[in-house]
Amino acid sequence: MLEVNNLNTCYDFLHVLWDVSLVINEGEYVCLIGPNGAGKSTVLKSIAGLIEIKSGEIFFKGISIGDKKGDQICRMGISLVSEEMNLFTGMTVMENLSMGAYTIRGKKKKEALMNFVFELFPRLAERRIQLAGTLSGGERKMLAIGRSLMSDPSLLLVDEPSLGLAPRVVDTVFQALEVLNKKGVTIFLVEQNVTKTLQVVDRGYVLERGKIVLEGSRVELSRNEHIRKIYLGV
Amino acid sequence: MICGGLSNVGEAIVMEPVIVRFFRWLKSSAGITILVTLVIAAYAAMDQGAYVIINILVTGGMWALMAMGLTLMFGVMNISNFAHGEYFMIGTLVAYYVFTPLHQHLESHPNHLLTLVAPVIAVFSAFVVGGMSGILTDRLVFYPLRKRSKENWLMNCFLLTLGISVILINAHQLIFGTQYKGIVRYWPLPPVSLFGVYISIDRLFASVLAIVTIAIFWVFMKYTKVGQALRAVSQDETGALMVGISVDNIQLLAMIMSCALAAMAGGSLLFMYPSYPTVGLEPLYNSWFVIIIVGFGNIAGAAAGGFMIALLQILTRVYVGEGWEYVIPVLLIALVLIVKPNGLFGSKVRGIWEK
Ligand SMILES: Nc1ncnc2c1ncn2[C@@H]1O[C@H](COP(=O)(O)OP(=O)(O)O)[C@@H](O)[C@H]1O
Ligand SMILES: [Mg+2]
Repeated sequence: MLEVNNLNTCYDFLHVLWDVSLVINEGEYVCLIGPNGAGKSTVLKSIAGLIEIKSGEIFFKGISIGDKKGDQICRMGISLVSEEMNLFTGMTVMENLSMGAYTIRGKKKKEALMNFVFELFPRLAERRIQLAGTLSGGERKMLAIGRSLMSDPSLLLVDEPSLGLAPRVVDTVFQALEVLNKKGVTIFLVEQNVTKTLQVVDRGYVLERGKIVLEGSRVELSRNEHIRKIYLGV
Repeated sequence: MICGGLSNVGEAIVMEPVIVRFFRWLKSSAGITILVTLVIAAYAAMDQGAYVIINILVTGGMWALMAMGLTLMFGVMNISNFAHGEYFMIGTLVAYYVFTPLHQHLESHPNHLLTLVAPVIAVFSAFVVGGMSGILTDRLVFYPLRKRSKENWLMNCFLLTLGISVILINAHQLIFGTQYKGIVRYWPLPPVSLFGVYISIDRLFASVLAIVTIAIFWVFMKYTKVGQALRAVSQDETGALMVGISVDNIQLLAMIMSCALAAMAGGSLLFMYPSYPTVGLEPLYNSWFVIIIVGFGNIAGAAAGGFMIALLQILTRVYVGEGWEYVIPVLLIALVLIVKPNGLFGSKVRGIWEK
């Protein structure tokens, strides 16, 4: 479904990603782990078209999207839940969700999507007329995921959803992602919480200093010496 | 589709009664300001006559349109436009060169219908040409800059708009000369009597046009998809891109609307402000006064602020004397900035500016 070949990305003169290649198949739940500053967010932003890539190719459903802009990529069915969330803080929860469905035509479909999001996160339904800027951290994260779902994506890119959240909220978010994956949404998850991540994903990649250093199934990664030592602390 | 056959979530929150929300708004600084403004306006009207109100509506409405344009450009593109007055100038110029030939034609060939619509044609042309100059400005200046680098964006744009202002003022002088290009009036009709005062049709038209435009603008921003996209881009550009909004097009649109509104203000005030190279300075100052007083990022505040500034200037002229109408507002602005640095309507929720 998604194929990244030899991706290189720079911020001005800082070369961050070095020949990153990865493949994600339809329906899979794949993770990308790695230390802070390795370039994980940069990988997601490159795929989502939020930053220009220097070289390399990105194919989505066989179509090259490397030079497309963020809005075009969203229309193709890729949605990013960024680390910063990028919510519309001056809009209510409902307004944020309907902005999420900006590319969706048809009122019925929008309503169905919104009901689905409210079912997934009943907390958002309670807060539907509250401004996004006044929500708690966990609620914002739910809203960010909810807003992404409103575009009915086939590939969901999620950047560190557990960052700064209370353990109970982290559970809620992880459960929601699993529900989505069961419903057929392909998920590419970036996470620092490696223990938890390796319990839920199918496969994973490890990114260190801008390079993919390891890849494998959940079981392979969980048994890997390097991962056990550095990321799982055993 | 990811969903299907899921149950409806019931209304979880009952809306607060409108009246409660209204009273809470009244107690905010925005509410107090507007209330005080209304009271002062009412007092001045009783003291000096209702013409005060009409004057507030005429000029205030136009400053409101200009300030709304400034807010829009700042919110959506992060540009503080110091060339905004020059789009007002373009409006006066276009209206003059459209209206004068029509007027001359009418002198030799009287035609009632054309007499009535000629001013409307002039103002509409100003609106359209203003919008087109917005397109040109964006594609020639800001679009290339956006593509190249966002670094030091605010400062670069500040300098660029100053440059645009200088260029447009001098272009006007070079091509059209420095003489006043004005008209006596748009409609050769007797003034109408409203609440005991006589108002020229020109003034009536300008105030109605301003109010109708503000209303349309507000509905557009609040209820249409494109209006919501404009608000979304102003709140989070990356977020807007992420939900599929073509940010480039929305920014171009903001520029078009902003310039078209300024030019329309110029066109409809041609009978008060004849066209000359620096005619845009006063509107520029006034609309920036509005922004400083009400704070950025608030379209409704900008609309209300336009009327407040007009009231302030008219009161100063009446009670303090001609020539003081810039001094008093500036003093007041200084006071407001000391007490409320974010402006009277400054919102608690942070926009793109504070990040
Ligand atoms: N907008 C930016 N401008 C310049 N450098 C950046 C920017 N964003 C990230 N970087 C740098 O790129 C590197 C990778 O960042 P990032 O992708 O956010 O890593 P991660 O998500 O793995 O923590 C870091 O060294 C970071 O300092
Ligand atoms: Mg990151």
